[in-house]
Amino acid sequence: MMKKPSIKTYRRLCQLLIIVLFIVIPVLNKNRYSLLYGNMLSFHFWVIPLADPLAVLQLTLKNFSITFDSFVGAFLSLLVAFGLGTVFCSWMCPFGFLSELAVNFSKKFLPRNYKGPGIVASGFKFKLVIFLVGIGFFLIFSTTPVLNQLSLPAWYTRFFQYFFGQGYFSLSILVIAAVLLIEFIAQKRIWCRYICPQSVLLSLTKRLNNKRLIVGFNPEKCRCKGAREHCTESCSLSLKPKNVWNLKDMECTNCGDCIVACKQVGKALTFQVGGGKRDSRGEPL
Amino acid sequence: MSVNRFLRPPGARTEKEFLSRCLQCGQCAQVCIFDCIVMHTGFNPFVAGTPEINPKVAACHLCMRCSAICPSDALHDIPIEQVRMGFAEIDRKKCYQWAEFLLCRSCYERCPIKWVAMKLERGEYPVITDKCAGCGLCEHVCPAKAITVTPTRYVEKGRKKDGGK
Repeated sequence: MMKKPSIKTYRRLCQLLIIVLFIVIPVLNKNRYSLLYGNMLSFHFWVIPLADPLAVLQLTLKNFSITFDSFVGAFLSLLVAFGLGTVFCSWMCPFGFLSELAVNFSKKFLPRNYKGPGIVASGFKFKLVIFLVGIGFFLIFSTTPVLNQLSLPAWYTRFFQYFFGQGYFSLSILVIAAVLLIEFIAQKRIWCRYICPQSVLLSLTKRLNNKRLIVGFNPEKCRCKGAREHCTESCSLSLKPKNVWNLKDMECTNCGDCIVACKQVGKALTFQVGGGKRDSRGEPL
Repeated sequence: MSVNRFLRPPGARTEKEFLSRCLQCGQCAQVCIFDCIVMHTGFNPFVAGTPEINPKVAACHLCMRCSAICPSDALHDIPIEQVRMGFAEIDRKKCYQWAEFLLCRSCYERCPIKWVAMKLERGEYPVITDKCAGCGLCEHVCPAKAITVTPTRYVEKGRKKDGGK
């Protein structure tokens, strides 16, 4: 009998699809195929627009106006975050995928240097500062939404737009490679946790919803008290998956790696809708 | 004229407004069937990823697909008579027709808004009117390199306030 594929298999397929899609789109466009256009900042598929909410927020703050297309695009992105949490980061972001691979390879090939949950427990504050400084700088000194340039997924997609669209080899790929190398050596997803301003709005939106999808924890089932914690080791963001059932959590991206790791131990971690600890029947404790 | 002279796509707002509205998504470059729109390369955070047209390499045919697709309205969808990307100027000393060197109407034949933007004086000599959209096609085809297009965004500060529209 075939083994049922785990969440991680589906997630990897989804990430690979996006990675390949944004290589293929510029090639298709060059051959006048017109169903998909755009990059990670703004994208449209047939008549459905999608947009980076941060880019749209910047334009809206600067011009006090918003177009229908960009509003719908940003709204759809935020809607996904509202219901499912920041799944964009773990299921779709091409840089997130590369960064995850870099950290996972590092853990495999370099000696582990895991020292607790990171430099600072909450990376979200860092991101928020960068986000606010960037928006302030844009509103006061600049006419161009400068925070767009901090979007590594956008630079990834833009590289292929440049390459296939106009035959230009952009050095942005080296910047991405440099960040990946740093993360490989540090064994931490530094960009995603401490810098990426694009995820701030998504995190803030998911925080508004108390009935969103989160990783729930059932302490009755947990069998690794005090011992080696498979869930913490599996988390590529170095979070503590046993604590993210808390609705105040900003950083968990619902990737489901901890759930897959926990499946072999006690099945204490599962996806659930709404916060709070639950017992084995799904009733709140 | 600097090497980096480039035009914004047709329908672009004034430079400042254009930059503050452009999402840098590159959809205009991808939809352009003449491959004239390219994205600004490099790492300058203020212009990287914004669309530009170099008429010497490939010129705009005013098909207006880009302004139709622009999700953030940085490119206005306007009739081509209202487009002001730049102004073309003919150097009459270089122009084959004006210099009485050859019979040449390359620019006139290719102008997308013939007889509005470009007229023929006495039926022979090309003259650019102030309705010129500045698409750069005439510059692209001119065999004598007598035509140069000045982007509207160069002269916005000062005399022409709404020039980029």
